[in-house]
Amino acid sequence: MKILLTQLPLLLSLVVPAFMVSGWLGDAEQSLRVSEPGPKHVAVAAMAEEGYCTPELKQIVRRVAGACGLLDAQGRGCQPADAAKIVQLDPSDFNALFLPLEDRVHIIQFDNRSSELDPAARSAVDAAWSDRGGASFFFVVARASPDGARALNQKLSNARATAVLDYLEARYADPDVRKRVGLLWLGEEFAQLTADFCDWNRSRAGEECDTTQINRSAFIAWIDCNI
Amino acid sequence: MFEQDAPPSDPTPDELAPPARQRGGPWLAAVATAALVGAFFAALSTHDFILHLDGQIHAIHCSVMPGDDVVVGQSGCKDAMLSPWSSFFRRSVWGGLPVSLAGFAVFAFVAGLALALLARRERTRHDTFFLFLASMVPATASVIWAAISATQLGAFCQVCVGMYASSAALLVLAVIAHVRAQPPAPTPRPWGRWALWFGEGVAVVAGLVVVYLALVPGERKSLDGCGRLVTTEDERGVLLRVPGEGVAPALTVIDPLCPSCRAFEERLEQSGLADELTRRVLVFPLDSSCNWMVKQSLHPGACAVSEAMLCAPERWTEVLDWAFAEQDRLLTLGAHDPKAVAEAVVTRFPELKGCVGTPRARDRVTSSLRFAVANALPVVTPQLYVDDVKVCDEDTDLGLEFTVDRMLNRRAEAGAMP
Repeated sequence: MKILLTQLPLLLSLVVPAFMVSGWLGDAEQSLRVSEPGPKHVAVAAMAEEGYCTPELKQIVRRVAGACGLLDAQGRGCQPADAAKIVQLDPSDFNALFLPLEDRVHIIQFDNRSSELDPAARSAVDAAWSDRGGASFFFVVARASPDGARALNQKLSNARATAVLDYLEARYADPDVRKRVGLLWLGEEFAQLTADFCDWNRSRAGEECDTTQINRSAFIAWIDCNI
Repeated sequence: MFEQDAPPSDPTPDELAPPARQRGGPWLAAVATAALVGAFFAALSTHDFILHLDGQIHAIHCSVMPGDDVVVGQSGCKDAMLSPWSSFFRRSVWGGLPVSLAGFAVFAFVAGLALALLARRERTRHDTFFLFLASMVPATASVIWAAISATQLGAFCQVCVGMYASSAALLVLAVIAHVRAQPPAPTPRPWGRWALWFGEGVAVVAGLVVVYLALVPGERKSLDGCGRLVTTEDERGVLLRVPGEGVAPALTVIDPLCPSCRAFEERLEQSGLADELTRRVLVFPLDSSCNWMVKQSLHPGACAVSEAMLCAPERWTEVLDWAFAEQDRLLTLGAHDPKAVAEAVVTRFPELKGCVGTPRARDRVTSSLRFAVANALPVVTPQLYVDDVKVCDEDTDLGLEFTVDRMLNRRAEAGAMP
């Protein structure tokens, strides 16, 4: 009895902690058994999808991307096509689709009958390209002012769109240039910009702007639509 | 016989003193109390540790003040608990064997021993000497772990401080109890009794360890990983190489202003596992100014630091080390004005002035984020992939060494190791 009395505290010093620890471990085992591994309710990295991505805008982006060979493995190579057929929208409705992109768009301005990017234009292309974020496609919509022959303006707007692409390819060793840049040239006959676009972010911001000058341009922006 | 017949003489001071059982009794009770307080703190710490064995997020006891007793998320207490110093044998047991478990056993044994001595009819300094020796164990361990906290962790866990204080009090009280105990008769030292107590002490610690190892959860679904990388091709050269050559390829996904990432990188370094991996780092700032996947910035300013890292591929570790060291200040700066973080970066690294904030730097960060998109990575940091297999989030803290060690062993068994 005397030995038991003196040994009891020492016995308890093992039994009590062991009892407590075994209970806690049992709870942990139980909790582990019911929990599933992996992240719980965690978002997965994905391309951006902004509110302005209406079905109509997506359709246009998809058509342009298709025409440029971006949706399959063929690689880039925009085919000459009637812009109106690609867009299949009323010209004013086409321009209205881009209104929500005002903060995203850069308007690259050119001299008359020129497709050469001046330093301000190159900086604007850099700024637009670096603002890629999670966007799926980089859209280049080139136009020409109504001066001159219609066919020439078609070629000129094509050259302006191509000038932006060439600059990107030369400047950035980025596979996205070939996979993501969609070109659309509208010439003079479709969806001319109104003077309202002079207030947008354009490469010749300090210079005079009217409907003629604003249409000697390429309208560029990353489009945050998951196509 | 002669002495029996001798006339009674005046009592000596020793004969006037209380019987041996009473002498030093209150001090022994005080020793037992200090040991029980230490056991309480050790139990609290062990409980917090065991709670985390399920790999889930739990509150942690970070203070013993009423109403301020638990903390969820990052804290010095959590850093201490998750650090490799909180447990032994982490590669063999998921989470390892908590140091506090041994502390719990030792404190409990010392309390039991003090109470056992209190219950003895006779006790002398021979007995209290062993109690003093036993009290030296938690005191010595406390000095070692306090030094580790100060020098390695840079943070003190308050529950641990409770254990350190209890150990100090225990030692002081054991010394007093020893001094106040009945001087022993001029007999040989009781080696047998000491050996018995020593054996009992070892048995208490070993018994608790055996119970722990027998019952610690073993089966874990998470050990098979939580998905794989879809592509590891770094077309845009945005993955940053960690110096060193390990046996297995690995990728870590971090945000330079994420406190969990800082703690994770420290754990990885301290674990020694970093040397076994050939690691690349994907920068993934949880800052909405560049990351479209984050609607509200968790770490404002992280984009600027990420740009700096990607601007200086040969010096990115310096930038990251600086960002981790200055993380609290940078987060405060970023909360008020994210541009101030960019200014702080170029002030510290003037050679990056021509890069941070430029379209090219932003583009590098975007490319890094798009690598995450290409792999459909979870929008969370930190992440670790070994051999393209994602280490489940629940295995990146306490179970890091065990899980990665197991992955490396599997790789070796599969013959991938040279």
